[in-house]
Amino acid sequence: MSRPVRLDGLVAGYERDLPIVKGVDFAVAAGEFVGIFGPNGAGKSTLVKAVAGAAATFGGAAFLGDTLLTGLPAHKVLGAGLAFVPQTENIFATLSIAENLQIAAEVLPRAARAARIGAMHAMFPDLARAPHRPAGSLSGGQRQMLAVARALIVSPDAIILDEPSAGLSPRLAHDVFTTLARINAAGTTIILVEQNVRAALAVVSRGIILVDGRVRLDAPAADLAARDDLGALFLGTAAAAA
Amino acid sequence: MEFVAYATFFGTVALSYALITLGLNVQWGQTGLFNVGVAAFVAVGAYTSAILTTPATEGRIGGFDLPLPVGWLAAAAAAALLANLVAWLTIRLRADYLAITTFGVAVAVQLAVLNLTPLTGGPFGITFIPRPFGAWASDPALFGFANLALVAATVLAVYAVLECLARSPWGRILRAVREDETAAEALGKSPRRLRIQAFTVGGAVMGLAGAVQAHFVGFIAPENFLPTLTFQVWAMLIVGGSGNNRGAILGAVLVWAIWAASGALIGAVVPAELQARAASLQIVMIGLALCAILLWRPGGLLPDRPRRPRAR
Amino acid sequence: MNPQVFVDGIVAGSMIGLGAIGLTLVYSILRFPNFAHGELVTAGAYFALSLAALIGAAVGGTAPIGPFSFGWAIVLAALGAMVATAALALALDAVLFQRLRRRGAAVIIIVMASFGASLALRSGIEFVYTASPAYFTRELQIAMRLPGGLRVTPDQLAALALTAVLVVAVHLFVTRTAAGRAMRAVRENPALAALAGIDVDRTIRLVWVLGAALACAAGITAGLLIQIRPTMGFDLLLPLFAAAILGGVGSLPGAVVGGLVVGLGEALTVAFLGAEWRAGAAFMLLVAILVVRPNGLFGRAGG
Repeated sequence: MSRPVRLDGLVAGYERDLPIVKGVDFAVAAGEFVGIFGPNGAGKSTLVKAVAGAAATFGGAAFLGDTLLTGLPAHKVLGAGLAFVPQTENIFATLSIAENLQIAAEVLPRAARAARIGAMHAMFPDLARAPHRPAGSLSGGQRQMLAVARALIVSPDAIILDEPSAGLSPRLAHDVFTTLARINAAGTTIILVEQNVRAALAVVSRGIILVDGRVRLDAPAADLAARDDLGALFLGTAAAAA
Repeated sequence: MEFVAYATFFGTVALSYALITLGLNVQWGQTGLFNVGVAAFVAVGAYTSAILTTPATEGRIGGFDLPLPVGWLAAAAAAALLANLVAWLTIRLRADYLAITTFGVAVAVQLAVLNLTPLTGGPFGITFIPRPFGAWASDPALFGFANLALVAATVLAVYAVLECLARSPWGRILRAVREDETAAEALGKSPRRLRIQAFTVGGAVMGLAGAVQAHFVGFIAPENFLPTLTFQVWAMLIVGGSGNNRGAILGAVLVWAIWAASGALIGAVVPAELQARAASLQIVMIGLALCAILLWRPGGLLPDRPRRPRAR
Repeated sequence: MNPQVFVDGIVAGSMIGLGAIGLTLVYSILRFPNFAHGELVTAGAYFALSLAALIGAAVGGTAPIGPFSFGWAIVLAALGAMVATAALALALDAVLFQRLRRRGAAVIIIVMASFGASLALRSGIEFVYTASPAYFTRELQIAMRLPGGLRVTPDQLAALALTAVLVVAVHLFVTRTAAGRAMRAVRENPALAALAGIDVDRTIRLVWVLGAALACAAGITAGLLIQIRPTMGFDLLLPLFAAAILGGVGSLPGAVVGGLVVGLGEALTVAFLGAEWRAGAAFMLLVAILVVRPNGLFGRAGG
């Protein structure tokens, strides 16, 4: 199952008088795969954290389907069906691999948990190999897979990932993107924040460019990939017309 | 007449507390170091000066009959030494370990003054500590005023020195370290050494304050240096506004006034047999006040001056 | 040296360990050393005292159980007191600590608030119950003789058994149950825990309930073996901190071992220097561990 995500004039940040996200509107259709790009400091991370309940929202609202997410604590956002994978520290390093998965599975009805953990093991065989080892012993790519599995285990209606390729080798980053494309193909709405624009444009269907806390451009991935002034767009020096 | 006598007495005690609060302000207000053992540093100062300046007494080590200024300086030095040791031991560790260690120091110093009877007089403490201007004791008004003037001058002198320090390059770096440790480190300043220095300066002021109190009251005993003292001084600093030296003095006078007034009220209203019980309510009040200010007015009455806009 | 010292040290140490597991739990998960933990110990003992008196008045007193000095009234009262102490801790968190946490106050501000709360609670208890010591029971205990001339009272054995049972139970709870797993997740990363679906506020309440119930158990044990005073918990605070840091903050087995080390240290101090120096043992051990191994005997580096 999959539901759309909609942002209405979202204002967010860490201090009320200094918002980092300054009014963002966009809608992501059910089953769509959207990338959010932009220069450093554009507010990409803050934007997705605010949607997930991990940063304060000062104005506007975010919806998953008809459910208002804004104002919910993070654990209720997950319960509502939207999973979020933060960029760093996205696994519990001192807990075992199995425990990392069990924690998220708690959200599900008791009877469904074992099957979902089994499904994650099938999707990410590395995680099934030594489930009782501390998650901190995993490699960078495996950690990212665990973080994604932790988010997927609840069969979310939409999933947001904040730079899942950060710190990974190009090959591993490619693996992550392929996995995401597979998950999206199975019907899950995905919003992906990425620095690695070229690689991400290969998998997303649409790109949103955020500059200084506002949407600068919202266009199909193919159009963006065809433009040779992406760098200038990021700096805000090129015309925004697609 | 009686009112004047009480006012000078009140002023002298309040200002001696102001001195302790100034010491704590260097440690907490300006450096962010949490000292739960204020009473220990005050006690070390009080006992050092008392041991050095009292006349020789049979059965007690000490009683060197030294001049008063020697006692006061030694008090500051002894407390500074203790503060330096504690800081050196814990400041490399986490901030909460410093809190726990100073708490331990308070327990240990209390234990030492209670049990090192030959040196400290044990539970009975030290009596006949020479009082400044003792020669004028026959004229209570003059004697009272002279003492008030001396304590006020000491507070003023310490205030002036601390203000100078706060405005000096040393004080500015100290603030920088408090605000942003990594930036200060990048400038090549060792935050650890600066913090140890600040903790030591604060300890010295507390030791001096202990000596001033001891000589004003004329006798000391372990029960003068219980954790309640630490609480009172904290309340004074938090009420006045940590980081601000004038706030520290104001807070000390104000909290001591409330303390003395509530004590007097209990003395007047509560029947004698219940007074010990009612006195515990007085302490409840200080504890609640401390929590209330932390919750609702964390800056105190006079907040730290330069509130620079937070950049980001 | 008289080997009895070791028996006394282990009994005292098990009491300290009991209090220290509660302290170390709160310390590691809420990330501040709670100076009011000692008052939870004291409040626990007084709650049990009052409840035992109520139960005694209702049923006309209960006879001691077997060789112990206490009757069923005290056992029942102990359970009720644990609930009451937990309620006190939850109330304290709701009016004080939670507000400061929400405001994003620095750890050291929360420590200071706990310091103020400790003072207010201690003096409040003194106001209600007065400073004079109280006792659960006036029954005399006949010490049992063990081989080697050692003596131990049935109450002391009961205290040791209680500590052992509670320590194992809490350890299993934290390592084997979903709630314990949530506690460990919040300890490592509260923000991620919330994103992973954990109700962080509920987990924190659970930590308080557990910590307070353990503090209460320590208070009742101390009350049974020694006496009940308004300052009993405050006097225990330094040994508790020493034990928690000795064992490595957050380590439950570490806190118990730390408690035993402090208890033995105190007993040895009493034997060699005299009873008046007992309280110095915890301080010396604390300083020693901070110099030699600040992460504790069982702590992870950077813990």
